[in-house]
Amino acid sequence: MASKSLICGLLTMCLLAGVAAAARAGKHSEAAPAPLEPTLSNDDLRLEGEKRFRANCGRCHQSPHKFPPRMMLTIERHMRVRALITEEDMRMIVRYLNQ
Amino acid sequence: MLSWIIASSGPLVRHRKSSASVLAALLLAFPSFLLGQTDSSDRPVPILTGSAGLFASGNGGDRELVPVVMPVILAPLGERWLVEARGEFKGEFEKPAGRGSFGGPVEKELDYAELDFIANAKATFTVGRFLTPFGIYNERLYPVWIRSLQPVPTIFPIGSGSSNGVMLRGGFPASPNANLNYAVYFSTNSTINKLESDRLAGGRLGVFFPSQRVEIGASFQQLLQEGRYRSAGFHFAWQPTAAPLNLRSEFAWSGEQGRGYWIEGAYGLSQISHWQKVMRHTEAVARVQQFFAGGIAPGTAADYGLPIVNAQVFDLGGNYYFRDGLKATASYGREFSSVGNFNRWTIGTAYRFAFPLGRL
Repeated sequence: MASKSLICGLLTMCLLAGVAAAARAGKHSEAAPAPLEPTLSNDDLRLEGEKRFRANCGRCHQSPHKFPPRMMLTIERHMRVRALITEEDMRMIVRYLNQ
Repeated sequence: MLSWIIASSGPLVRHRKSSASVLAALLLAFPSFLLGQTDSSDRPVPILTGSAGLFASGNGGDRELVPVVMPVILAPLGERWLVEARGEFKGEFEKPAGRGSFGGPVEKELDYAELDFIANAKATFTVGRFLTPFGIYNERLYPVWIRSLQPVPTIFPIGSGSSNGVMLRGGFPASPNANLNYAVYFSTNSTINKLESDRLAGGRLGVFFPSQRVEIGASFQQLLQEGRYRSAGFHFAWQPTAAPLNLRSEFAWSGEQGRGYWIEGAYGLSQISHWQKVMRHTEAVARVQQFFAGGIAPGTAADYGLPIVNAQVFDLGGNYYFRDGLKATASYGREFSSVGNFNRWTIGTAYRFAFPLGRL
């Protein structure tokens, strides 16, 4: 009985979180893009990207070399799922690694 | 091409070949039909990546030669989908006493084969076979090119492994200096060869403070089949900005399997002024761990890969990074327990590869 309740609870959490997040994303998709990038110069963006790269990627492994941009896009998607890096961090990191 | 894959895998199923054969056929065939999708220069390209390694190790009087290959397929679909899979081929070759050459079985595992849908900035849905998100070692540190010490922590079997089912996960900023990450999942029971999993449900919650480079988190898991025990864990990771130190730790408790912890520090020697050409590529590692056996029978504990009695293990090691993705590694440790104390050592090399499966 307890385990059934646990499953129901987890599935309900999944459903609610998914619905809530999807609803919020719908609103966000109509809004302006990330606030940070338009206000920074190229040098600032590079420094910010490097900082986020070291903080996020360096937690698990050594600095990887730069891959071609199309490979970086795939790696970005993989690491968002695997390491749960935030969307903005990932965007800044990819921009830094593609420079 | 997709119809060819389905048609060609049908006879395999009908003839009751192992499910691993079907999956292998799918994995090998899959990238070929993706090539047609990779014309645009701003689209992600499918990748074959992964790691390979060759290690010699000793545990007490036993000597082993361990070649490992862990290929990973990453196949992005459209704007928000990703198919990813990892296989693991690991030899455990021993030399018969006094004669002959090294030989033995090769373990073949499908660690994960999952379909991810990145719904938005906060949520990703995953279905298929995935790495169980319990603690941080299983999902993030397991590949041989990443782990700082090649022997996995003693508590690694608790709560980890692979699950077959569904998962919701994500990471997003909760405040200007705190990123929240979460994963909740349900796994079904499977006894299919190479696709084994338990019926269980669980979740993990973590907070990462990017300015301090500190992450803390907790995991929970409920087994929903025979045994019905619970497992819980905590993890901690810290990379101080003032020093090239990477500190990680996990604690895991299981109602049946036991409990334990490990604390590992990896220190880059780049700050040492002598032998700079060598030191800036070198990392020294130390790990302390302790395990307290649970109430299960010794045979069952051994099946899980856990010590059968309380144990303390100390390891010292080093890594030398020739270049990105290629390193030499060595470690020496000693295990203390009531069934005897023994030395353990590992020496070898690990390599991370990545190839595009389409035009760049």
